Parts: sequence; structure tokens; C-alpha cells
Amino acid sequence: MQTTALRPAAAAASAHRPGARIRVPVLGAGLGVVLAVSVLFAVTIGPAQITFGEAWQSVFAHLGFGDPALSPLRDGIIWQLRMPRILTAGAVGAGLALCGAVMQALTRNPLADPYLLGLSSGASLGAVGVILLGVGVLLPVAAFGGAIVALAATLLVASAAGTLTPTRTILAGLAVSSFFGALTSLAIFWSATGDTYREILSWLLGSLSGAQWSSVAIAGAALAVVGVPLLFSGRVLDAFAFGDTAASALGVSVTRTRWIMLTATALLTGALVAVSGAIGFIGLILPHMVRLVVGRGNRRVLPLAALTGAIFLIWVDTAARTVFDPRELPVGILTAAIGAPVFALLLLRSRSSS
Amino acid sequence: MYFVPHRGIFVVAIAASALLVAGCSAAGAERAAVESPASAAPPVAAATTTYPVTIDNCGTEVTFTQAPTRVVTIKSSTTELLVALGLTDRIIGQAFPDGPMPTAVAGHSITPVEIPVISDKVPGQEAVLDLEPDLVFAGWESNFGPEGAGDRDALHSLGVLSYVAPSACKEPGYKPEKLSFDDVFADVSEAGAIFDVPDAATTLVADSRAVLDDIAPLPAPLTALWWSSGVDLPYVGAGTGAPQMIMEAAGLTNVAARVDDTWTQMSMEAIVDANPQVIVLVDSAWSTAAKKKELLAANPATAGLDAVKNERYIVAPFAETEAGVRNADLAAQIAVEAARFTP
Repeated sequence: MQTTALRPAAAAASAHRPGARIRVPVLGAGLGVVLAVSVLFAVTIGPAQITFGEAWQSVFAHLGFGDPALSPLRDGIIWQLRMPRILTAGAVGAGLALCGAVMQALTRNPLADPYLLGLSSGASLGAVGVILLGVGVLLPVAAFGGAIVALAATLLVASAAGTLTPTRTILAGLAVSSFFGALTSLAIFWSATGDTYREILSWLLGSLSGAQWSSVAIAGAALAVVGVPLLFSGRVLDAFAFGDTAASALGVSVTRTRWIMLTATALLTGALVAVSGAIGFIGLILPHMVRLVVGRGNRRVLPLAALTGAIFLIWVDTAARTVFDPRELPVGILTAAIGAPVFALLLLRSRSSS
Repeated sequence: MYFVPHRGIFVVAIAASALLVAGCSAAGAERAAVESPASAAPPVAAATTTYPVTIDNCGTEVTFTQAPTRVVTIKSSTTELLVALGLTDRIIGQAFPDGPMPTAVAGHSITPVEIPVISDKVPGQEAVLDLEPDLVFAGWESNFGPEGAGDRDALHSLGVLSYVAPSACKEPGYKPEKLSFDDVFADVSEAGAIFDVPDAATTLVADSRAVLDDIAPLPAPLTALWWSSGVDLPYVGAGTGAPQMIMEAAGLTNVAARVDDTWTQMSMEAIVDANPQVIVLVDSAWSTAAKKKELLAANPATAGLDAVKNERYIVAPFAETEAGVRNADLAAQIAVEAARFTP
């Protein structure tokens, strides 16, 4: 038995489901509406007792319609804590799902995720440097810097070994990940004092509890500048599905394209990791979930994965910040805890229907 | 395994032990933060410990056949307890110091002395055994174990006793439901019995109680947040630990009291929603009070808190905030500072 998601890529083109082409724009518009509604509802949910009406009035007041009904302090809860966090969650969720889908297509590997090139381990090392070793840089800057160093190391190792093939890229990423991971563990083990380990753990698992408007700006800008062009790269990625030889026969400059797209994906991922830590599951599994529903064509998968990722992370993070009031969970724990059963269910359903 | 980064010498302090052992009251000694109360209760005359003493310590049976003479202390709370009991000469090495020693405990001034630091963190078993101690006295149960100073039974089989401050026990039946000063003082009394200095323990407890009794009630009730560490997700004093005990003694109402735990994470939203009137900032090397003040002022959501706008901060050194002999002095200091903030 083969599931749709794990079928060899060469068969991809024929894996379109009947009617998928028609359903996609409708599905996209539908998800867009769900995303907007999600933002509006998630902003009314939180540990502080604020009603729907009050929350919306506050949001609209900041958008220039009317006056806020809330005290400045409670207005701050809506506009300085919840709203930037929800928007960051949306941007990070969309970006990670998109990057995951692109990575899987570029490397023709269903186990690829946005952190494939050692990015999360590099970002983690940067973050640990700030939190534990007191390096005097802003955390997002250090995390992004770490991710870029890891990316450069991976690409250097992979291309030094020969042409940038998927296998070489993955193996080089593994080597870099392991090495940076060891350095991170060493730093934690050596210098975690008091309860700083709690801070670093929550960062390593991925957390949005520090999200501010500056996070929205970073994640949003990266998504706009790098993510939007990637969204329209579906046609090129579909060519990769047939293998490198077939892709070059179709007129795609394989190595150059792979270099550019790997770098673009890594830059976006690096920016996202910088604001949220390495949130797992979304980049790995959400693209597969979308493929199970709409088939493998990347022109459909990429935008739908981005929308689904945004909605998914907004709601999971809402749960992470409210269910255990006044505590919170690192959202990375919940993305897998909630997402994995849903994915298993989809997998089972796709088996019975195929 | 753990490494010993360096063998430094840590300058600490010694209690005015002669004063304590002689059984004098504290009336003549300097008081740290509060006025001297009425003289402490006179100690029971000629009290001594009859050995062997067997103690059920967090579920581990420990038998002392004599007063320990070569002690390795782990965590500041244990070092400070022994120093305050006038037992500095029994400490052959300390590990995991949380900060500088106090200059006085419950009115007994302390003079500096050097105790070798065998490790900045939890020491490894070999680093401990190398000193040939007869007792390892730990502030946390987790300091023992194969990854730390050694498994308790393994240490016992090598002739090294292990002991944990009883109020730090974690097992059901041993862990205090809600830490109180009675628990902290019971730790002092038990240590007094183990080391055959019951009079010193009685005096220390009496003087600490006097410090607490001396705390003047606040003119008006104040709510407070106890921010221990953490950046995006503050780690705060909850309803059942040392922070709650100290805040209660100082007359403050803890905004995280509803959480049934010693410490807890508290989201920024819950903190802003609670709008505490005063914020106690724990000052440690890894999370300074100054850094926390910056964070509060920089985050637009917390910048509007009453305590932040009016800078109603009380700074507490970390070593005073874990259950131990310095808690009473800290409560008194917090009460004095909080009184200035009452509207």
C-alpha cells in the first residue's frame, strides 16, 4: 500500500484528484475567510476577562474607527499582547508550512522540513549565546545570525562535496545540525544557572510568548519579501518532482534554482525562528496534510499550506496561552500534540478512500 | 557528569558564634533591618544532643553517631544555616553558592571568613568524596543522585552521611503543604540537634521570630507580584512556597497566590490583568533586578502597570528568597519598603 503523500515523486503529476482543480480557488477563499475570522476571535480569548464587544471595540479603535471602551491597561492586553502575538503566529505558521512544502519538493524528501539545513540548531546556538552567555545582541538578531551561519556551513559542505544534490544537501544539513546541537547542549550544560534552563527550553521548543509588534514586523516583512515569491514557485517545483535530469530537460537550471530556493527558504525560516524559536511539526506535517486533501501539485499546495499553517498556529497558540492560565506552554509542544493525531486521522482516511 | 570549573575561594562570613554558644540574647547585637525587639527567650540550660540520632530525612533514614565535623554544603541556604549556628569551622567546602553571604542574620552580625568553593554548581560525586566529608548537606533533594553529589545510599555505604533541609523534601508526606516559618524554624532546630548546638538553634529561632513579630502591619493592603526570573514568561512566586510565606509575613497579597505551587510561570497577560501595586524583583546573577525593570518599562503592555509607572519595586537578593535563615530579615525589609508605597 502506498499513501498519496509518500508515493514516489515521479508519479506526482498523475496524482491529481478529480475535481481538485475546481475546488482549489474555493478552498483558498474559504481558508482566507477562516483566517480572518480566526484572528478576530482569537483576540477575544485570553486569561483576562474581556468581552467580545470590548475586544473588538479596542481593535477597531486602533484601526481608526471609534474609541476604545477599555482602560489603557486592558486595551494594552488586546493591542500590545494579544494582537501582535496572533499576527506573529499567523505569519510564522504560514511561513513554516510554506518553507516545509518547498523544502520537501526541492529535495524530493517527504521528511524534509524548514530546519533541514541545520537552521534551527544554528538559531538555537545564537539564542543560547544571548540567554546563557550574555552575548550583548538582541535575541532575534543572534538567532538569525546563527541560522545564517548554519546555512552557510551546510551549503559549503554540500557543494564542496560536489554538485548540490538533494542527498548531499540533507547529509550536510545533518552534519551541521549535529555539530551545532552539540555546541548548544554544551553551552546549556556548562552555564545554565538558576532557572535559565527554563527560559532556554521554552525557546528551543518554540514559543510565541514574547511576541510584540516588532516580531510582527520581522515575520511579516520576511513573509512578504521572501514568502510571496516562493508562493508562486509552484511550477518550478513541479518540474523538480520528475528528478533533476527531467527538470533540466524541461529547461530548469537545476543547481542554480536549487541554490536560490534553498537560500530563500532558509532566509525566511531564519527570520521566523528568530521571533518564535524552532516550532516543530508545522513545516514537516502540514504540507503533507494539504497534499492528502488537494493532491501533489505545488501550485495548489503552496498557498493552501501557507493559509492552513497560519490558521493552525493561531489556534494552537491560543490554546497554549489560555488553557493553563496563568501558566503557558511552549507552543511547540502543542503543535505536535494536537497536530499529530489529526495527521494520523487524515492518513487513515486517505487509505480507506484510495 | 559535572565538571568543576575552578576551585576558587569564596569569601563568606562567620557568625558571632561565641555569642550564640554562650546563650546570650541578641539584645546587644546589631539588627539588620528592624529595631531590636524584646530580648529573645533564654535557651534551655545545658541542652546537649544524645547520640546516636536517627532522622527520617525525606524518606531516607540517616543516623548520626556524633556531631558532623567535616561538612560539604550545597546551596547558599545550607551554608548560611550552619554559619548562623556558629558552625563555620565544620564546613570543609561549599558548592553552588547563590550569592554573597549576609552581613547579619536576625540581628547577629557576621564576620567574613573564607570557605573553599568546590563547584559553582552541583558538584560531582568525586569532587565531594575527594574532601573526605562526613556529611553532605544539600539545599535541594535533587542535588543528590548519580548526576550530582552522588546517590544518597551510595554515599552512606561509603560512610558519608547525606542530609537535606527537611522543608525542601519533595515526597508526599514530607513536603510541606504550604511552607511556613514554622517549617523553616524546624529546619534550624533539627540542624541544632544534629550538630549538638541546640542552644544556638533555639536562640536563632527566637531572634528570627522576634524579627517577624516586629514587622509593623502595612497602613493599607497592597497586592504584589514576586518576579523571580524569566523574560517573556515570568517565573513568579506562587501560593505555597517561600515567596508566599515571605510576602504574607510582610503583609503583601500575592497576585499569584491561587496557583497551588511554590513557583509558577505567569503570562504577561495574567500579570497585566492582575495589575499588582508592588513588584518584588529577585536579583540574581542570571536574572538581575535591573534587567527586569528594563523589560517592564520596555514592554508597552506592562509599562502601564501602576507599579511600573510609579517604580514601586522592591529588590530581593536571590539567596534570601529560598527557604532559609534569611527569610525573616527579608520579610522585615520588604515590609519596611512596602510601607513607603502604601497609597
